[in-house]
Amino acid sequence: MTDPLLLLQAAADTSRAYGEFPVIGARAFVWITAEVHLMFAAFVLGVPMFAVVTEAIGIFGGDERYDRLSKEFTRLLLVAYSATAIWGAMLVFGLSTLYPRFWAYLTTIFAPSMWLYAALFFVESFTLYLYYYGWDRWKKGRAKLGHWTLGILLNVWGTIVMFIANAWLTYMMSPPRDITPTTDPTTIKLWHAIANATWMPINVHRVIANVVFGGAIVGAYASYRFLAARTEEERAHYDWMGYVGNFIAMSALIVLPFAGYWLGREIYQYDQSMGITMMGGFMSWLWVIQAFLIAVLFLTGNYYLWIGMGRIPGAERFRPYTKYLLIVLVLGAIVWGTPHTMIADSKELAAMGGSHHPFLGALGVMSAKNTAVNLMILTTFLSFLLYRRANTRPVVPWARAGTIIQGAMFAVAAGVVLFYGIRGYFVEAIVRIGFSVYQVLAVLSCIVFVTVIDILMARGAQSLGAIRWGRMPPRSQYALFILAVTFTWLMGLMGFARSGIRQYWHVWQVMQDTSKYAATPALGYASKMISLCVLIFLSLVAFVFWLGGLAEKSTFVATAEGEKGARHVGH
Amino acid sequence: MSSPLRPAIRRYAEHPFWQAVGILLLAYIVVVGVVPILPGSAIVPKSVVLQYMITVLVGVLIYVSDNEERWRQFKEPIQAVLVEPRLKVVRAVVVAGVTALVGLVAYGQVKTTVAAPPNLRSIHPAPPAEITFRGKTITLTGLENPLRRYPDSLPSYLAEGKRVYYQNCLPCHGDHLDGQGHFAPGFNPLPANFQDNGTIAQLTESFVFWRVAKGGPGLPREGTPWNSAMPVWEDFLTEREIWSVILFLYEQTGWTPRTWEKSVSGEK
Amino acid sequence: MWATNAKIVGIVLGTLALYTLIANKIPQVQSEVPQALTLGANVTPEQLVAAGEKVYTGIGGCTTCHGLGERAPNLLTDEKGQGTIGARCGKREPGKTCKQYLYESLDNPTAYVVSGYQPIMPVMTKQLSPAQVWSVIAFLESQGGTVDVTASDIPTTSPASPTSPTSPGGGGGAGGAAFAGGSTDPKAIIQAAGCLACHKLDGQGQVIAPDLTHVGSRRDAESIRRKILDPASSVTKGYEKLAGIMPKSFGTMMSAAQLEALVQYLAAHK
Repeated sequence: MTDPLLLLQAAADTSRAYGEFPVIGARAFVWITAEVHLMFAAFVLGVPMFAVVTEAIGIFGGDERYDRLSKEFTRLLLVAYSATAIWGAMLVFGLSTLYPRFWAYLTTIFAPSMWLYAALFFVESFTLYLYYYGWDRWKKGRAKLGHWTLGILLNVWGTIVMFIANAWLTYMMSPPRDITPTTDPTTIKLWHAIANATWMPINVHRVIANVVFGGAIVGAYASYRFLAARTEEERAHYDWMGYVGNFIAMSALIVLPFAGYWLGREIYQYDQSMGITMMGGFMSWLWVIQAFLIAVLFLTGNYYLWIGMGRIPGAERFRPYTKYLLIVLVLGAIVWGTPHTMIADSKELAAMGGSHHPFLGALGVMSAKNTAVNLMILTTFLSFLLYRRANTRPVVPWARAGTIIQGAMFAVAAGVVLFYGIRGYFVEAIVRIGFSVYQVLAVLSCIVFVTVIDILMARGAQSLGAIRWGRMPPRSQYALFILAVTFTWLMGLMGFARSGIRQYWHVWQVMQDTSKYAATPALGYASKMISLCVLIFLSLVAFVFWLGGLAEKSTFVATAEGEKGARHVGH
Repeated sequence: MSSPLRPAIRRYAEHPFWQAVGILLLAYIVVVGVVPILPGSAIVPKSVVLQYMITVLVGVLIYVSDNEERWRQFKEPIQAVLVEPRLKVVRAVVVAGVTALVGLVAYGQVKTTVAAPPNLRSIHPAPPAEITFRGKTITLTGLENPLRRYPDSLPSYLAEGKRVYYQNCLPCHGDHLDGQGHFAPGFNPLPANFQDNGTIAQLTESFVFWRVAKGGPGLPREGTPWNSAMPVWEDFLTEREIWSVILFLYEQTGWTPRTWEKSVSGEK
Repeated sequence: MWATNAKIVGIVLGTLALYTLIANKIPQVQSEVPQALTLGANVTPEQLVAAGEKVYTGIGGCTTCHGLGERAPNLLTDEKGQGTIGARCGKREPGKTCKQYLYESLDNPTAYVVSGYQPIMPVMTKQLSPAQVWSVIAFLESQGGTVDVTASDIPTTSPASPTSPTSPGGGGGAGGAAFAGGSTDPKAIIQAAGCLACHKLDGQGQVIAPDLTHVGSRRDAESIRRKILDPASSVTKGYEKLAGIMPKSFGTMMSAAQLEALVQYLAAHK
């Protein structure tokens, strides 16, 4: 903190640097508009990704249902798209009127990218219109492939748009080191500002998170339609759609922590004290809340799968084992949620000899937590595997050997995770950090190889009866709602973490926030804001979906339900 | 005598409702009763007990409801208690019990006590990038103990560190460096236990230097509400004395200080 | 259907409420903006007093002498029946207001020394920024008097800088345990060690401690060396009352080469 900077800031204060918004205040206004805009944006970026994938499955796999599913996804996009734009406009107006000095600074650096952003947004919208309204027109043969290409283009535009916006906000977090408070913003090269330390990690993290988020919202939509369905067939269709949404969300969720890990590492490398503020400083409690939310996600996601086994003939073979998976998950959640620094009153503190519990404290450190979460991921994957295999019996001659190899892979992966977890207690921190990479690699390679074996093994497998889509108790659908709410809330929370570690800086150590809202609020206040944003978002989404239902009948078409063996996604 | 009892016990043991009750009881006994009596352990704070019990409760609810049949069985006794005329007494007891429980919880929440409320302070708040030590600016980021640069003189530095420790730190941090000095019971927060794997073992030497030099008054706000009583040692010790005592702390406890990222990527 | 809708809304609201509750249940920590020393043009007397109190009890080091009842007059408590400093400051020197008197005490402490005390107070305006000095004055005035310090008293030209009375000689390598980056230039050492805060040398510095300009004629190199390493070993005549003021730590803060350079330099001052 150099002194010329403080002087500069003080001088800037005298001119009009900040506006004020009635009642809720400037910060709250920008907070809400940014967060809701981001949620809609995540939705409209995530959904096209699997709309394209499901369309491809429909084209190349020849299953009509996927094509219809894809179209229904896209229909959800149309209205959500304008909502994104509206909230984005509110955010921009909010920033330019409430934080004019900061906004002027950002525009000075990023102006050309902002023009490009607007242009791409325009192109993206029209690609979406073509994609949706041309669906039935270009239905056959080469035209269909052209249509699919439109979908890919839609994703390309969307991704570029997001990358550009990410450049602005990552610049705020991690401006290149040679930029100081006295640097004239007009002299900063655009690309230099864009390619800052956290840009790529955020890009990757957000692409994956968008898929998760899109999947979760689509799942909630499907579960709503399921609960509202009047016929068996409609119920079957939306049951299946909810399953697909959940499947996509959970599979992408499994890779998300690794992207997050990369981001965290870049933050640490960019600025140690920023990293410590995030993980160990005033934000450390945020991670306990995050652990709780992720435990909810894992448990609810698995719960949905296990209930789903009730509709699969043949699943009863695996049901007795789910309780062991549950035990692993609950133990994992307990370890993962164990705080290192415990909330305790003075008597308990005296008994423990400090805020670290002499015995349970060992569960509060990184080694234990990484081990727990990796085992939880493995368990969830195993749930999926059992679910996939539930109504088939493999017929390939090496089926037995294959299963044994798969089992061995699980054992090895779990062993590696446990080994490095325990070993982590006996080495210094810097080595321990490296161990988490080995754990992750073990889990990832187990997932990849086991899946490959499973696909090979499922060839020509004998069916034990069609999945009875639609035979789900309502509480499974409520689980999907909990998933959607939790994902959305988690997104708000992580957004607060990412933005909050800048603390009282607009641009980290370059431009200080001298408004009366410069202090970073406590978690309690943040959680209320997050809940409010989630509520606004979900209400609007409900409205959007309701509108969609008004305008058009559901894309559901009665067909011979569950045609032969009803394959799952993921094949 | 026992033969007619067995089937009854088994019926209870296999019934999801009683299984759920049993698991919850067992978990509670383990967390509250068993964990504290393990060697080297201590009582589990109430906040953590609550957290564990909620997690187990969620697990139990998932267990009883992930299967239609089990869910139906689980609900049976609950429904029976609520509607069946023959269970009138049980119903009355449950209603009274729940009411009393809610009342007790509410009472416990609002009752005033003399004890300080549970404290939550960041034990290791983010250090500043640089500090002013007796008017001299010291950059903490990337800083390592300068005394380590003279391996030949380490024994003498260690001797000096030991002297400094026993002259200044002993009363609070104790003879065993475990935070159990004579004065320790009077403090909130308690003096740091250097033997614990969560204190100096997790920190760089520059962080320890910052904490020693600036003491409790130098803690940022997240270190509140109960600031540590650690004195501002820069007023009493020289820079070299602080570095030597840090050297002594690591040497004596056997921990190795956390190293900076860069040095490792250089090695590998 | 309405029952289902109500259930969905209930679940959504319940989940949100649960998360919000948990996040509110843990004790709350807000990350505050660090208090910058810049006191803007519209600083209130209360802000000045608050800032001054921090300087007084903290970085200013005032409590080292004031308030102990021996070395310097009490300021925050009664001094010989004359009341606290705010109450008596205007009556100390004829023709000087409270504010002027206090500023003089900080800027030129030897100009008026309360009888019964030694002139040992350092020049605080050399150690503190103007903003700090004026906030201390505001704080002292608030102790039994009225605060009349305003923002216009604080010269705006010089920035509020963190106190660094001894650093300009070259900050020294990070972690290096020696003054002035280990330089053996005696002038740099004297500068960095802050000798002139008490001693006078070649017309510069304070007169609290013995004048060093002709120290070489009083002491030989050996005596000077011992005096630096162990200030209590000998006391110059006439300064017995100030024995023990000189820090004992200089010996541990210099390399042997630096110590020798300094000793030879001083011994040559005949």
